Amino acid sequence: MTNMGKGKPFLEVLASAIHEDFRFPFLELFAFFYALGTFVFASFTVGLSSQITTNEAIAYSVTNSLISGSLIVFILLILKNVAYGLGNDLEKGIIQTYFSYPLRRRGILTAKLLSAIGVSLLLFLGIQISALYILAPDIVFPHLGTVILTYAASLSYPLLISAIMLLLTLKLRRGGIGLVVGIVLYVAMNIASGIAFFVAVSTKSPLAFQILSVISPTYALQYHYGGLSGISDIFSVPWIPTLSETLLYTGASYGIVASLFILAYVYFSRRLNL
Amino acid sequence: MKRWTTILGRGGTTLIAISLALLLVSLIPTIQMFSTEGSGSLSPGGIRILFSQQNLNPQQEVQIAVTVEGKLTVYLLELNIELEFNPETGFVQRFNSTDLQQILQENRDLIIWEHEVENGDYKRSYTPTRILNATLIVYNPSDSENAYLDHSVSLQSSLAPGDKVRTIAYWAAPIGVILAIPWLVNIWKERKQS
Repeated sequence: MTNMGKGKPFLEVLASAIHEDFRFPFLELFAFFYALGTFVFASFTVGLSSQITTNEAIAYSVTNSLISGSLIVFILLILKNVAYGLGNDLEKGIIQTYFSYPLRRRGILTAKLLSAIGVSLLLFLGIQISALYILAPDIVFPHLGTVILTYAASLSYPLLISAIMLLLTLKLRRGGIGLVVGIVLYVAMNIASGIAFFVAVSTKSPLAFQILSVISPTYALQYHYGGLSGISDIFSVPWIPTLSETLLYTGASYGIVASLFILAYVYFSRRLNL
Repeated sequence: MKRWTTILGRGGTTLIAISLALLLVSLIPTIQMFSTEGSGSLSPGGIRILFSQQNLNPQQEVQIAVTVEGKLTVYLLELNIELEFNPETGFVQRFNSTDLQQILQENRDLIIWEHEVENGDYKRSYTPTRILNATLIVYNPSDSENAYLDHSVSLQSSLAPGDKVRTIAYWAAPIGVILAIPWLVNIWKERKQS
């Protein structure tokens, strides 16, 4: 079979997956909430705490405020697409139909993930970067590296959740449990960061945050740029990671995400018997 | 062909959804953070500081309206005017016409905008694209004539620069409609057939 011949079934699966994942008006609803959330939660005043003084830190702070509002919408979308969408396809035998296509199994999973995560990511980043351009082009563009690092650090944990959900959905061949685990993991990280904060303050050691940063490097980045704003010195965490340490935490977290996705690919290609 | 119609159509409906969100954002009312009004005369070569704000950010807008009898120049400078404590008069702003002349001659990059007003009204608003210190000053450039000034300055805070967001929404929505129409017509035809 020629390359063109291989490409067509892939596009067929991708088109079908996008059609299923983003039935009218899901895409439009999520785009609406992304745009609204991005502007409603954007804040420049959070960048004005005494600890945040450099333009680079302001760029981080503004980008972070924009992400925080829409990240929950992004997580909901990938929860729906990965757990519910793929789970449904496995339950209804649609994946079995795809297996009859002249396409490798990893191609089928790639098409499904491109639709479930890729399109969502494209929508999220497209709206966010346009919003940053509308709001503060002179803050963002001179510090594009900081902005990209902030997005990379913030998206690492949602991608980790989606990898775990994907593995669970493939293993259990239904999306319900994967969906619940995804929600629990998202809430658990917020609880864990609260606990880590008190442990770090009481023991005067940043170890708890260093451990958390391996799976969610956004904490390392936050402390690199001065930590939480507007809190008393009594509650300060004695941790100022360097930029290279922050990059290392981000790299480590993406290493974990990549290994989980590879595991899912191996399971889908070799072990999944339908 | 049908696939392209669907892709463009969904792109169009997404663009319409984003436009609606932007329109909603632009309709959220602004909060007035500060406002000042006043009037008075300015002697030849004299200056008056109408407004000075540290850390003016892209979610804030300075609105200015002046009525001038005579000739005055309005300057918005990227500058933080420091206050100096005087035991007799209290805090005074440490900026005079010599400082302004120095900026005009040596540091013109500090001028965000300037406008000369002669016997008339002038209105302008300004939203920065980064965080900066801003100071609004009026200067009487005349050597011999006094000028009379009536001014109103306010600082508004909003989610996003309303005009910019509204303009994008007004452009994006029709483009979205144009892209979506063939896809919507297709759907309508399919439903009619079935």
